[in-house]
Amino acid sequence: MSLTVPGKGAVRQSANGMWEMILNYDFMRRAVLAGLIVGLISPLVGIFLVVRRLSLIADALAHVTLSGVAAGLLLQKHVPLFQQVSPLHVGMVFSIGGAMFVEQLRRLYRTYQELAIPVVLSGGIGLGVVLISAADGFNVDVAGYLFGSILAVGEDELWWMIAAAGLVLAVIYLFYKELFALSFDEESAVISGIPHRWINLLFSFAVALVIAASIRVVGILLVSALMTLPVASALQISGSFRRTILYSLLFSESAVLCGLAAAYYLDWSSGGTIVLVSVLILVSILAAKRIRRLLILKSRQSDV
Amino acid sequence: MREAVLRLSGVTFSYDRHPVLEGIDLEVAAGEFLGLIGPNGSGKSTLVQLSLGRLSPDAGSVYLFGEPVEKFRKWHRIGYVSQKSNSFNLGFPATVYEVVASGLTGKLGLFRRIGKKERALIRDTLERLGLSDIAGANIGRLSGGQQQRTFIARALVSRPELLILDEPTVGVDAESVNQFYRLLDRLHREEDLTILLITHDIDEITAAVDRIALLNRRIRFCGTPQEFAARRGEVLWVEDGRDVSHASRVPGEEIRV
Repeated sequence: MSLTVPGKGAVRQSANGMWEMILNYDFMRRAVLAGLIVGLISPLVGIFLVVRRLSLIADALAHVTLSGVAAGLLLQKHVPLFQQVSPLHVGMVFSIGGAMFVEQLRRLYRTYQELAIPVVLSGGIGLGVVLISAADGFNVDVAGYLFGSILAVGEDELWWMIAAAGLVLAVIYLFYKELFALSFDEESAVISGIPHRWINLLFSFAVALVIAASIRVVGILLVSALMTLPVASALQISGSFRRTILYSLLFSESAVLCGLAAAYYLDWSSGGTIVLVSVLILVSILAAKRIRRLLILKSRQSDV
Repeated sequence: MREAVLRLSGVTFSYDRHPVLEGIDLEVAAGEFLGLIGPNGSGKSTLVQLSLGRLSPDAGSVYLFGEPVEKFRKWHRIGYVSQKSNSFNLGFPATVYEVVASGLTGKLGLFRRIGKKERALIRDTLERLGLSDIAGANIGRLSGGQQQRTFIARALVSRPELLILDEPTVGVDAESVNQFYRLLDRLHREEDLTILLITHDIDEITAAVDRIALLNRRIRFCGTPQEFAARRGEVLWVEDGRDVSHASRVPGEEIRV
């Protein structure tokens, strides 16, 4: 069986190189812009998920988004009204619903907050599989949603991503201090009078937006990678919250740019390559820290 | 008598028909330092949750600054240090400064950012609690005592009138515990801060507090440390006939009323 992964073979390597491609071709420009947008908003939302020990929520919601995308495709096939509606937007509505359900579950299972994740994740996959099988095949390649298809990002889609990114940035900027207080110590934050339900809801909304926006770039299966890997790397070298944000942005944008370039020259899948570069950054930081510790230890020994 | 900052009258509360608190009448006057002691399961933490409006009593009422707790909205007048502060996520990437600054979130309200005035408040609070030198340090790298002072600073940065501490010394070494009570004593005396301290450390607090209340489902004793010392044997006399007034300081085991 052969699975065609979008991105692979979509761009023929040329002697002109990537930068000339970006200058000359709209789809390349859109791909790079889409990648940079996702690289900006993913870790911004991801850091709050990571420190609240909810990194897997992104995965759960991504799977709910898949069921929404499947529902969107199904509606497109059978309901004329939905022919103009992008399946991704239906996916986003599902994702927001899923996020609200997660919040509800978190409140019901206060001591087992992570339980919300498998419940929503398996529910999302279950529904998605049923909807896909009910449709009896789609004209669209579902694999594009699973693995991302950054080179297929259209003009409309890019504008939509910019709008989504604007909303996410606004939520994080306006409610930064509330989100920090709630993430650090939810109980004290609630007692100090912070409207925690509203803030948590808005934040879930932002997570849903980021997922919907990232699906084109890295795909459903890898959405959580861009939210957590750069943050995981930043946590290794930073002691303050602001620096952690700064470093994770740096790492995720570098992963997007290097990943896209590598995917272009090596003719690999762009989403997968971006994620692999993120892993490489994390591994390099871990290795560098280890080497540094060994060197310090050695210099101490030689001093003695 | 000065205004009652916190007043519970006839408060009764039960979890699933299991009575936890019965007919609690308790007042904390402005400027007072009240130590609330009691064994594990005596309802101390429930009393705090009721006082903060996180739980509603089955009967009776709770007043904060003269207002019924259901209607109370000026939460910045209260500083709270929870038991859980000692077991927070050690890997959290935040500095002492960032944690203390987060104590201003509720007071500032939505859409207002930390400005010049707030930065001065934060610096001043760090100074008062001797944290200035480690303001930029990661919270996870500090000693238990320093972490605890950071949490007190976070509670105090919004300049509350009432400070509620729920077993803040659990898991902190003896030396830090002593320093901690000296710090509370200083805050109480020099800044006229009203303090409600829930604790296991009977012996350590008697020097600092104005009044001691002993809770075990009901208020079993409430009076000055001198009265407590004089009646200690009687107060700690057990209902089931065992005298454990001289029992050790093992948390939760020292008193059975």
